[in-house]
Amino acid sequence: MVIIGENIHVIAKAVSVAIRERDAKVIQDLAKAQTETGADYIDLNVGPMKKDPEENMRWLVSTVQEVTDLPLSIDTMNPIAMEAGLKACRKRPLLNSASGKTDSKEHMLPLAKKYNCDVVISVMTDKGMPPDVDSKIESIMDTVTHANELGIANEDIWVDPIILPVSTAGEGQRFAATNLEFIKILEDVLPGVKSTVGLSNVSNGVPEELRPLLNRTYLIMLGRNGLYSAIADPLDKELMSLTKGGMPKITELIYKTMDKEDIDLSSLSQKEVEYVKTAKVLMGETLYSDAWLES
Amino acid sequence: MDYKAPIEAYTGVVREVIIGKGNKSLKIGGENILPLHFFDQGSNPNPVKFALEVLDMKPEDWPEHAVEPFKDVISEPVSWAKKCQSFGVDAVSLFLMSTDPAVKDTPADKAAELTKKVAGAINVPLIVYGSGDEKKDVEVLSKVAEVCNGMNLLIGPVLKENYEAVGKAILEHGHTAIAQSPLDINLLKELNVKLSKIFPPDRIVIDPLSSALGYGMEYSFSLIERVKQIGIITKDSMTMMPIIGNLGGECWKTKQAKENKKQGLLWEGMTALSLLLAGANILVLRHPDTLKLIKETIEAR
Repeated sequence: MVIIGENIHVIAKAVSVAIRERDAKVIQDLAKAQTETGADYIDLNVGPMKKDPEENMRWLVSTVQEVTDLPLSIDTMNPIAMEAGLKACRKRPLLNSASGKTDSKEHMLPLAKKYNCDVVISVMTDKGMPPDVDSKIESIMDTVTHANELGIANEDIWVDPIILPVSTAGEGQRFAATNLEFIKILEDVLPGVKSTVGLSNVSNGVPEELRPLLNRTYLIMLGRNGLYSAIADPLDKELMSLTKGGMPKITELIYKTMDKEDIDLSSLSQKEVEYVKTAKVLMGETLYSDAWLES
Repeated sequence: MDYKAPIEAYTGVVREVIIGKGNKSLKIGGENILPLHFFDQGSNPNPVKFALEVLDMKPEDWPEHAVEPFKDVISEPVSWAKKCQSFGVDAVSLFLMSTDPAVKDTPADKAAELTKKVAGAINVPLIVYGSGDEKKDVEVLSKVAEVCNGMNLLIGPVLKENYEAVGKAILEHGHTAIAQSPLDINLLKELNVKLSKIFPPDRIVIDPLSSALGYGMEYSFSLIERVKQIGIITKDSMTMMPIIGNLGGECWKTKQAKENKKQGLLWEGMTALSLLLAGANILVLRHPDTLKLIKETIEAR
């Protein structure tokens, strides 16, 4: 599993202040920490970057490249900031992200060709978020065909099905199950494409201390179905250990849960039980509530 | 070839909850089929029940046509409750509105005394709703539970914010609880999980909040429907409780119901009928003519 480290993100106040005040140390500490814990890419999520996009992005990229050799994922919806970022990268970067929206097709996708980089393409279109597996497949096939016509090969495309919070009343669990299915059939539909997800969004809105468990479990489930990469938190040691095969018993339990095998919970440790319960929630087998571990 | 309709058999059973004591008691829930799926394998041993509202103070914002059936008793909750019985109710639902600090801030012991009098004056079970003020309700509902010790009233609303204190009092004094959450299935389940740690789940009734026709009723409908499906089909223990649809107040708040009597009855009647179809087990109505209308509809008269 390719892990794109998510921690340099403007939603974190420390990061947005550091960019504004040119405080290299804050940024570099985050880049170094993620490099040391085994990330494969460093994501630079700068949001829309309305003010001085070129200058800010150039500073950010070079600041990070001073302390890490990892390739970067340039994460912005501003094409000007995007181009400045791609131009400044020493290693082949990841353009994060384009979509099936007209604006993105016209201004983002061509940059992937121009700078010969990998590109994340989400299932979003002008009509918004496709609601089910079939419409997601239909949307992504349209956008990938368009990308192919621009000269971008399937191998350079990382498809993002868009993860939504599992805690959203009524629909959240359906979305989680839909994306598991989507990842499972993607390779058959679009041979050669890679895939990625914004993992942490699955646990948005969930009590802070319970979020990592949802993130870790979902990543293992998606991984089993063929997910290639995830934008995630490499500072979560248990998550990294799981993705690198360091917790085979837990992984096997999650697989068994996905296969709806009978599992005797009384023979398991508390931690193992928690993983099983969490997998059941993410499959839509048990109804979500913030107290899902307690029942 | 003969067509044979498929028959479903489910494993979940809604808990049968008893409210009231002895010959004043009433059973709700207990079904192991989806609402009105009488063609499937299983049964609903306790068809839907009906209660009428009684307020602990003279209502201020009721239209004349809603006051009319009770106009001689509208300032006397005990007589009002007795009069409800003449309309063939299965239960009476007393609303302690006046205890709300923003209304009259009636003290808890006064409210509890009144509740005891009302409960003693009728020969059907009593449902008691506090004002919904999460802090004041701790005092009021705890006192009600204590003063009416052993009468097995159905008491609520028990909320996420006060379930520990209110739940404890309801349990200690032998009553049944209404767990109320704001129109959200995840929060509904969470409250049931938490409450069930200190309270027996077979003494919990779910109030998912009932919105009126034209004012969000479809949310209540979908939610009740889903609670039933998850309980009966997937056997989720924390949604297998009967449901109370407290809809009278919501319906009579609407402009349409206030305008004229016929419209009001239809507004309340359509809301009640819809929630009943979704799977509610007991409904709280305001107008006795709505009760009559609904009963006639159910019996296809």
